[in-house]
Amino acid sequence: MRTDAPSVPAGGVASATPDRSGNPPRRRSPALRKAFPYLLLAPAMIYLLAITLYPGLFAIYQSLFVVKFLNWTWTGLGNYSQILQDREFWAALGNTALIGGISLTLQTAIALTLAYFAYRDPLIRGWRIIFLMPMLFMPSAVAFIWKLAFNDGRVISDLLMSVGLVDGNVDWLASVWLARMTLIVADVWQWTPFLFIIFVAALQGQDQEIEEAARLDGASWPEIFWNISLPMMRPVIVVAVTLRGIDITTMFTNVFVMTQGTPGGATETMSYFIYRQGFRMFNFGYASAASVLMLILTIIIAQTVVKRAFHSGKK
Amino acid sequence: MASIHLQNIVKRYGGFVGVQNMSLDIADEEFLVLLGPSGCGKTTTMRMIAGLEEPTEGQIVIGGEVVNDIDARDRDVAMVFQGYALYPNMSIYENIRFPLRMRGIPASEHDARIRKAAEMVELGSFLDRKPGALSGGQRQRAALARAVVRQPQVFLMDEPLSNLDAKLRQSMRVQIKHMQRQLKVTTVYVTHDQIEAMTLADRIVIMNKGAIQQVGTPDEIYSDPANTFVAGFIGSPPMNLIQGTARDGRFTAPGISVPCPRFVHGQVTLGVRPEDCHVGGDNLQGQVYGVEPTGDVTYLTVLGGTNKIEVKAARDYRSDIDVAIGIAFDPAHLYFFDESGQRIRGAA
Ligand SMILES: Nc1ncnc2c1ncn2[C@@H]1O[C@H](COP(=O)(O)OP(=O)(O)OP(=O)(O)O)[C@@H](O)[C@H]1O
Ligand SMILES: [Mg+2]
Repeated sequence: MRTDAPSVPAGGVASATPDRSGNPPRRRSPALRKAFPYLLLAPAMIYLLAITLYPGLFAIYQSLFVVKFLNWTWTGLGNYSQILQDREFWAALGNTALIGGISLTLQTAIALTLAYFAYRDPLIRGWRIIFLMPMLFMPSAVAFIWKLAFNDGRVISDLLMSVGLVDGNVDWLASVWLARMTLIVADVWQWTPFLFIIFVAALQGQDQEIEEAARLDGASWPEIFWNISLPMMRPVIVVAVTLRGIDITTMFTNVFVMTQGTPGGATETMSYFIYRQGFRMFNFGYASAASVLMLILTIIIAQTVVKRAFHSGKK
Repeated sequence: MASIHLQNIVKRYGGFVGVQNMSLDIADEEFLVLLGPSGCGKTTTMRMIAGLEEPTEGQIVIGGEVVNDIDARDRDVAMVFQGYALYPNMSIYENIRFPLRMRGIPASEHDARIRKAAEMVELGSFLDRKPGALSGGQRQRAALARAVVRQPQVFLMDEPLSNLDAKLRQSMRVQIKHMQRQLKVTTVYVTHDQIEAMTLADRIVIMNKGAIQQVGTPDEIYSDPANTFVAGFIGSPPMNLIQGTARDGRFTAPGISVPCPRFVHGQVTLGVRPEDCHVGGDNLQGQVYGVEPTGDVTYLTVLGGTNKIEVKAARDYRSDIDVAIGIAFDPAHLYFFDESGQRIRGAA
C-alpha cells in the first residue's frame, strides 16, 4: 500500500500544491462527478443542436411572420392558412407522393427481386461494394448525367430509336408523365442499390437451416422466399423503406437539375416548391411554414408505418 | 419406404475429413441409430443422405436410385434438425402444416393430420403459439411433429429428444418406435443417449472421428464389441479396460490375475463390464476407492494397482473406503484387445 507517494491529481487538472498529506487524492464533488460525462458530451451536443435543432426552431419561428428580408411582420398562423389554400402547394404535395411513391415501390420491388436471385451467390458476397457505386456519386453529378441522357445528349432517345421503339427525338419535358418518369428513373437508378444491399444482407443473415428445413418439406425457392424469408425480413424492409421514403420526400437535386418543375409544375416536388417560395420569390416565412407542414406530415406517416409494421409483426 | 446405401462416402471440409470412407447398407423399414461422440460426423452423414451436403466422394443410393445429383427437395426425406429449424414467422400449427401444403396434400386432410402429430408429441395446446414463445423442449417436439406429419421415404432424426426431461423422453421414445413400425418408414436416428440407441435401434452404427467402428444389433454391440472404442463407449458405466500382459494362458496386471485363452499373449487390454464383476473372489485384489448407491444398484470403485475398476454391486452393498477387497471376474464375459485396440478372437 502506498503511503507517501505523491499523488497525481486525477483527470489531469493541474493542481498547484502537491498533496503531501498522505491521503488518497481528493475526490471530485458528487455533483461534478455526475455532470462530468455530460460535460464531455457537451461540445458534440452543442454542435449537433446548433446544426439541427436551431434551424428547425428558427423555421418554426419564422413561419409565423411575413418576411421580406429584414422586415418581419407578425402574422400568426397566417402563412399556414394561406398555404392550405394554395393550389400549388397541394399540387407539389401530390407530385411528391406520386413520384416518390412510384419510385419507392419500383426500387423496393426491383431490389427485392435482385436480392432474391443474388443472395445465395457467393460472388455477390465479395462484390457487394460494386452495387453501391451509383450511391457513391455526387447527387448533382448523377442528376447531370441523367439530364444529359434524357434531354440534352438525347442518349436515351437514340437508344430507343435504334431499337425502333420511337421514330424521332422524344421531348421528355413535353409530357407530364414522361417528365415525371425521368425523375423516377433517375431516383430508381441511384437508390435501388441501397435497398438491394440491405435486403441481401438481411437474407444472408437468416438461419440457413430454416431454408434447408423448408427445402426438405418440399418448398421451391420462390415458395421459401414468399412463405419464410420475406416474412422474416419484414422489420428490415420496413425500416429500409421508411428511411428511403423519408429521404424521397426531400427529392430536390434531380428536380432542380433535370426538370425545374416543368411541364406546368407537374414535376414540382415539395422541396422544389419550398425552394421556389424561399429563394426565387423570397417568401421566407411562407417557405418555412411549408417546411414545417412537410416535417409534421413526414413524422406522422413514418410513425404510423413503423408502428403498424412492428405491431402486427409481433403477436 | 426405401433402402439406403452409402458407398464409400467421403466428406472433406478443406483438409479436414468429416466422414471417411463410409459404407453402410440400411434395409427398407429399418430403424438405424447413429451413435458416437460429439463431432464424429453423425450430422454430416445425415445431411448427406438428406441432400443438404454433397459427399466429396462416393455414392448415395435411396430406393435403388443414385441420388447424388438429386436435389434435397426431391429426395422425399423428412428431417428433424438438431437446431429444430422451425419457421419463426409461423404458428406451430402452420409449421406442422407447411410440409403438407408444400407436398400438395389435399387441404381437407390437413387438420386431422396436424392434430394427430401434435397429439403424439403432446403439444396439442400450443398450436397457435409462435416458436419464439415455446421452451426448448417444446420446440423440439414441434420439430418432431413437423417431420412425422407426412409419410416420406426416409425419416432422418438428429437428436430429436435431446432437450426433453427423462419422463417425456421415455414416452416419446415409445411413440417414435410405435409410429415407425406403423408407418414402416426407413429411419436414421442420431443420439448421444445409449438407452435411446439400445431401445430404439434395429441396428446401431458406432462412429468415431468420421469412421464407422462397428455396425450391429444392440445385442451384438453390447456383448460383442469390435474394439476398445466401442467397448468403452457402450454401457453405463462403460466397460473396464485394463492394460496388462498375457502369457501362458494367464493375464496379469497390477493387482489383477485372470485366466485367458492361450491365443492371447503379449501386451493386451482386458475388458470386463462392471456387471460381470462380483464382490468376493481373487481376480482383483485391491482397496475400496468409492461407493455410490443409486437406488436400484450400487456402484463400487476398486483401486487395483493403478487401475480403477468399476463394479456393479448389490444395491445394499456398503463399505468404508480403503478396505481391502477381492473381486471375481465372470470368466465367460472377458474381452481381450490387441495393442491397436482391435478385439482378439480365437479361430472360430
Ligand atoms: N461446414 C463445415 N466446415 C468445416 N467443418 C465442418 C463443417 N460442418 C461440420 N464440420 C466438422 O465435421 C465434423 C463432424 O461434424 P458433425 O456436425 O457431423 O458432428 P456430430 O457427430 O453431429 O456432432 P454432435 O454430436 O456434436 O452434433 C466436426 O468436427 C465439425 O467440426
Ligand atoms: Mg450433430
